Amino acid sequence: MSELIDLVRRVTESVTGNEEIEAFASHERSFETRVFSGEIDSISSAEPRGIGIRVIVDHKVGFAYSTDITDAGLRSTLQRARDNAAFATPDEVTGVAPAWGNAPEPIEGLVDDLFGDATVDDKTGLALKLDEVARTIDPRIRTVEDSVYADSYGEVAISTSTGIEGSYASSDAWCYAVAIAEDDGDTQVGFEFGLARGLGGIDPDEVAQRAARRALDILGATKIPSARMPIVLDPYTAGQFLGVIGSALTGEAVQKGRSLFAGKLGETVAGGMTLVDDGRVPGAPGSSPWDDEGTPTQRTEIITGGVLKRFLYDLPSARRDNVASTGNASRAGFKSAPGPSPSNLALDPTGESRDEVLAAAGRALLVQDFHGVHSGANPVSGDFSVGVTGRLLENGTPGAPVKEVTIAAPMLEILSSITAVADDRRWLPFGGSYGGATTLVSEMTVAGL
Amino acid sequence: MDSQSNRRSATAQGHETGPYPACVLSEGTIRKVLDAALAGGGELAELFVENRTSSGLRLDDSKVEDVASGAEMGAGIRLVSGEGAAYAYTNVLEEPALLEAAAVVRARGSGRDKEIDLRRVRPSLVNPVEVDPDAVEVSEKADALRAADDSARSSGDAVRQVTASYMDVHQKVLIANSDGLLVEDDRTRVRFFVQVVAARDGQIATGFEGPGHSGGFELLTRRPAPAVGAKAAQKALAMLEAQPSPAGEFPVVLAPGSGGVLIHEACGHGLEADTLVKQASVYAGRQGERFASEAVTVVDDGSDVGTWGSFGVDDEGTPSQRTVLFDRGVLVGHMSDLRSAKKIEHPPTGNGRRQSYAHLPIVRMTNTYLLPGADKAGDIIAGVERGVYAANFAGGEVNPATGNFVFGMSEAYMIENGAIAYPIRGANLIGNGPQVLGAIEAIGDDFGRLEGVCGKDGQHAPVTNGMATVLLSRMTVGGTQT
Repeated sequence: MSELIDLVRRVTESVTGNEEIEAFASHERSFETRVFSGEIDSISSAEPRGIGIRVIVDHKVGFAYSTDITDAGLRSTLQRARDNAAFATPDEVTGVAPAWGNAPEPIEGLVDDLFGDATVDDKTGLALKLDEVARTIDPRIRTVEDSVYADSYGEVAISTSTGIEGSYASSDAWCYAVAIAEDDGDTQVGFEFGLARGLGGIDPDEVAQRAARRALDILGATKIPSARMPIVLDPYTAGQFLGVIGSALTGEAVQKGRSLFAGKLGETVAGGMTLVDDGRVPGAPGSSPWDDEGTPTQRTEIITGGVLKRFLYDLPSARRDNVASTGNASRAGFKSAPGPSPSNLALDPTGESRDEVLAAAGRALLVQDFHGVHSGANPVSGDFSVGVTGRLLENGTPGAPVKEVTIAAPMLEILSSITAVADDRRWLPFGGSYGGATTLVSEMTVAGL
Repeated sequence: MDSQSNRRSATAQGHETGPYPACVLSEGTIRKVLDAALAGGGELAELFVENRTSSGLRLDDSKVEDVASGAEMGAGIRLVSGEGAAYAYTNVLEEPALLEAAAVVRARGSGRDKEIDLRRVRPSLVNPVEVDPDAVEVSEKADALRAADDSARSSGDAVRQVTASYMDVHQKVLIANSDGLLVEDDRTRVRFFVQVVAARDGQIATGFEGPGHSGGFELLTRRPAPAVGAKAAQKALAMLEAQPSPAGEFPVVLAPGSGGVLIHEACGHGLEADTLVKQASVYAGRQGERFASEAVTVVDDGSDVGTWGSFGVDDEGTPSQRTVLFDRGVLVGHMSDLRSAKKIEHPPTGNGRRQSYAHLPIVRMTNTYLLPGADKAGDIIAGVERGVYAANFAGGEVNPATGNFVFGMSEAYMIENGAIAYPIRGANLIGNGPQVLGAIEAIGDDFGRLEGVCGKDGQHAPVTNGMATVLLSRMTVGGTQT
């Protein structure tokens, strides 16, 4: 796929006059298989590729994309990007990335060297295994709704008229299972996933067992009376919470009045916690040598010891605040223009194990799943009110399952009430990459009966 | 409609490689590709060809940015055999590339000799396009964004930020299969949305308004940009005064239009036949059972002309139709695509949809409505002593297996002594699909629609929810005040 660099170079070589051009292309090979009830339900393979072109002229940006990468297609796409630029409002902060002094260091572990060795039978076999293990682990598992394995190998390339030229490859493999347990008239659902750079990095037994366990553990759940009590977030829900606040941590969100962190720089916002975004964690899902504008990635401490220190930036938002880009430009593939977002975002662990955090919680609600996060959590206003399922903790031991209650508090209050982050971090791919670990929140309102 | 297509091709000629007709393939090529896919056996081979052009603009911080246009072409080939489906696609619409994709999906058995007899059919439904968006100057689209921004900002001093977006998509599809189907559909959709952030005394609130339809730029005549901007601003400004929501059980009144998301999430998803087949739905095996009063009839209607979730044929070539799901309170229907229809031994209902040529078709809703009743909205509210008025939902989430749902309210009010008293924030609604159907006590005559985008299995589809003012007798409201 090395011709991808030639492709983007062909576009930026056409630069004329005072315009700047950036071309971003991707070429992927992807595979997905779904299994239901011991049978392969579908196999899908694909090879998407395309190019997105930005033209900046007189501080105005135009964007166009296409799947047509013939010479005629490239000319047409470039022309449409130029045409579009004419209709944008001039903005001084626009511009493509400056040339690299030294090429960014490559990141370890983006590709599994054995990726190409996995056969279609290996892949369907993994999905069949997921289904079989989850389905047969306990007679109370009524059905396994989905057992899915998918992978992709892709290359992205960027070229700018300022002289940046680069490409890198990455591979991903993931799977998930959705188990449905039923007992005594109650039905519960358990979801679990596995994520690695190749099929060999996934243990289908473990994923299937955990999916089934998550459903079985909350069978017979009941509503509990409304109360204020400590909350323990599982790695899964802790990661989701970081996903919500992540979008409010960009300089752009602050500049545009869309962040609950606006005006809070230098203030204590998070107890004693430290929150870090790091685009260079070896093997982590959000890692890359350079971001989607071509800026080298880096490690950025956002909150240090509870104090809000800095925000995450792409190039335009950084220029607006007179700071350097933190390498956080991101795009959802060649079809979209870049914008700022976290890379790998996580709270630093505070030194305890999961068991120690559970023990410290006393009588608390252990939250296994959030329901309605995308509607009940607002990173602009900071409102957070979501449904949860989980279990009551008594002296560090998970007990009676709980459902149909909500937890609610302003997000800054939640962040300030975090008193422990366990050492069981896992990366969760929720439209980004968020490090979830067992997390203790000292007190929240639980609304139930 | 002819003048429309002429205008479109005239526009196309203006570009070096502009919009292409979907059917760049000859019937001979189509037949050859289907034959190749079936060469190792199987029940159905299908070719889905798509040509999509789009344009979009976004205004943020009073600046027009992200002026974008897209052009995508591709073809997906599906082979259905036994219980399984194999799928492959290519961006290259030429015979050798298509034959290569066909070889990927081919089964490992022996083929059949039966000749494929392609019969071209026309969709019975056409969603009219009065003003072709391709023929509208980009500057006019940008002006609409600025007009929305101006009106939102002049709605009140507390308005801090406005984001306005415009997008149009022109999608042409061709579907052919080894049963002899050959059909094309031409879909144009336009959507305009405005989000407003307001702030006062440390309180921040957001408001959103986003009309859309299956049709052309005339959307902006029916829903003028300044009015859309003002409405989004009013929602944000109203919520600035909001007090923390109480938690507990209350009667809940759902506003017309927006309340339809409850029906979509809590009833619709559980009646998608793929979920029923897997016994993963709370409604599985319960056809004929009464869930609600005589007043409750729920339909899914992909043939509602001009509506956001409508089309001529679905993405498997089945004509769009109106499907009754609950008839006067009794569960009578479901929604299906070709594969799930076969499994449950019913004719397909035209609900096989896919995000693009890169995706397998799956069962999806279109426009899902709780049909209106005879009550007056004012009377419904007047009858509530203390309750919650849910004016807008920020979205929702449901578990089809259990029917349990949670919906966040982005705009809500307390009702006290039969009147709307004051706005509340941080409220959400928790419950269960069958339970909410049973809790419907009154339905107004003020039917309204709300456009949205529904996600399932990683695919997005335009859908509409519709309902009138509805009274739910008792629901759990989650909030911060115990």
